[in-house]
Amino acid sequence: MSYTLIVAEVRRGVFEERNLDSLGLGALLGAQSVLLVPDGAYQVPDKFVDAIVKVKAAEEVYLNPMNMGRMLEAAFAAKGKPDNILFTQSSSGMEAAAYAAGLFGMPVITDVSGYDRDAGIFLKSYYSDKVFGQFKTAGVPAILTVRSGSFREFAAEKTAAAAAETIDAAAVETRTFVEYVEEEKTDIDITKAEFLLSVGRGVGNQGEVSGYEELAGILKAVLSGSRPVIDKMWLPKARQVGTSGKTVKPKVYLAMGISGAFQHIAGMKDSDCIIAVNKDPEAPIFQYAHYGIVGDIHKVRDKLKELAKG
Amino acid sequence: MNILVFTKRVAATQEEELRITGEGQAVDLSKVPFKVNDWDNYSVEEAVRIVDKAGGSVTAISIGDAESDEVLRRAIAMGAKDGFLVETGDVLNDPFARGELIRSFIDKEKIPFDIILTGVQSEDDQFGAVGGIAAALMGLPYASMVIGIDAVEADHVVIRRELEGGLQEKVKVTVPCVLSIQSGINEPRYVSIMGIRKASKVERKVFKADGYEKGSPKIELTKWVYPEKKGGATMLDGELADVCGQLLGILKEKGVCQ
Ligand SMILES: Cc1cc2nc3c(=O)[nH]c(=O)nc-3n(C[C@H](O)[C@H](O)[C@H](O)COP(=O)(O)OP(=O)(O)OC[C@H]3O[C@@H](n4cnc5c(N)ncnc54)[C@H](O)[C@@H]3O)c2cc1C
Ligand SMILES: Nc1ncnc2c1ncn2[C@@H]1O[C@H](COP(=O)(O)O)[C@@H](O)[C@H]1O
Repeated sequence: MSYTLIVAEVRRGVFEERNLDSLGLGALLGAQSVLLVPDGAYQVPDKFVDAIVKVKAAEEVYLNPMNMGRMLEAAFAAKGKPDNILFTQSSSGMEAAAYAAGLFGMPVITDVSGYDRDAGIFLKSYYSDKVFGQFKTAGVPAILTVRSGSFREFAAEKTAAAAAETIDAAAVETRTFVEYVEEEKTDIDITKAEFLLSVGRGVGNQGEVSGYEELAGILKAVLSGSRPVIDKMWLPKARQVGTSGKTVKPKVYLAMGISGAFQHIAGMKDSDCIIAVNKDPEAPIFQYAHYGIVGDIHKVRDKLKELAKG
Repeated sequence: MNILVFTKRVAATQEEELRITGEGQAVDLSKVPFKVNDWDNYSVEEAVRIVDKAGGSVTAISIGDAESDEVLRRAIAMGAKDGFLVETGDVLNDPFARGELIRSFIDKEKIPFDIILTGVQSEDDQFGAVGGIAAALMGLPYASMVIGIDAVEADHVVIRRELEGGLQEKVKVTVPCVLSIQSGINEPRYVSIMGIRKASKVERKVFKADGYEKGSPKIELTKWVYPEKKGGATMLDGELADVCGQLLGILKEKGVCQ
């Protein structure tokens, strides 16, 4: 059978929404779609796939890339080798996709955000979305990770209900789950703010951050940041916007010195009004913003302070 | 603990205008400055910290042209003992080819190691795949998005992986293993020009990539293209005061500011 194997991402009992993008790309690829999912009480969109393979394994076992190799083998034994295997572009998907590629000697293209069916071309971001590469696989089964938000509208309902079967999977000893570690609770919750002033690497150095704190104070905004600013500990982790930080949806998101990498955009793109300030007119963030200013953020900061005070 | 840490020299394109040449054959990087891959800066620091505590030595390895020696000198300045350059003329776009090259290089040169560190991803190609591919090819356990290393024992490590939305998972991995380090795991030490100059006195070894298997590329980059324009923002133009006035006007209109 010619089919696409879609490896579903589940975390803490939730069938992640970004799986819909894998289902969408699956539909575009044209072959039948088979969904791999751990056997559990998940809400699985079974209308969008032709068959489901449930793995008798706990979620933590399923998400472990070493175990995933064995599960894929079991799935191949049940269904034959797929044309393509899709993972989500996420902390678990990226890890398992690369590992499976090495294990099965399969080509891998990560962060796929576009597909041209006629040409058989996959689109992949380079340099934080400043340019894209068009890729072809050498006509052999490939592993792809799918960028969240890129394909969900293509997910297509099937006429017949998906048949499900169950496979077993044994866990490896070389990597074992210990526990989840929650983020520390803090008093400021950026997901509740109506107005976020968000700063990125363009801030330059730690000494400049206080000027943005002042501006946020004057404008009654809450200060948040992109990952590099949090990595450098210029702002606390709870202030990070993006996939590995918080998803925010304020009335206004004012981004200063943020380029617009996908992991950042994913965390703020649904804000009511996005305003971006960046000195690079080609910065990808301007594609997502409602309003844009090309210029030096420090000058904009100082002028805003002056005008808002006066 | 012997640690091999992979470090890549990448184009610093964040503030540069990128031009695609010809019919999409290449991206012109001739005027773009180069630097160490941000993620690899964190992994070199982590390698040095592990060895400071557990003993052993750090070897930094880079795959690239002769210029990549720069990131090896930097790693040595940070505390690596050795620097190995696997010199290749052509850019290996396919992460599989790089993973295969890493496997065969370590195998053929019989380089001893307990832990291999890579970054989560390269800033330029953002594949986030080389570490995982190399691990599988070498038959080693693997973990990526490593945001904390809590224990390093002779036969295992306990690490924390960063998941989405601020959640982490604690995982035990047997040694030898491959770990891909997430940015923010530590505070990389400052490296001065003087430090790099001093590091230049430490001999770096150069190995020709031709001597190792890298298999045939499994994927082909056929063309470079610019991002599709999505409508984009209404740009506020004019003098600084004027632009900022317009911005404040929008904030008022949206009701977040008087
Ligand atoms: C698994 C994973 C998870 C991640 N999670 C997140 C996440 O949750 N959140 C997140 O943000 N990132 C995340 N990232 C990182 C992401 O890929 C980018 O590296 C990051 O978002 C870049 O941040 P930035 O835009 O601030 O920096 P850069 O990309 O370096 O951009 C800086 C921008 O500032 C501009 N600039 C510089 N100086 C000035 C000036 N004086 N005036 C005006 N403009 C200026 C530049 O033109 C540039 O556009 C993640 C990455 C991975 C691999
Ligand atoms: N050419 C290279 N030289 C050295 N290390 C590399 C190279 N390419 C990738 N790596 C390592 O693999 C990691 C992930 O790279 P990538 O899969 O290209 O995103 C990087 O952070 C590096 O540690």
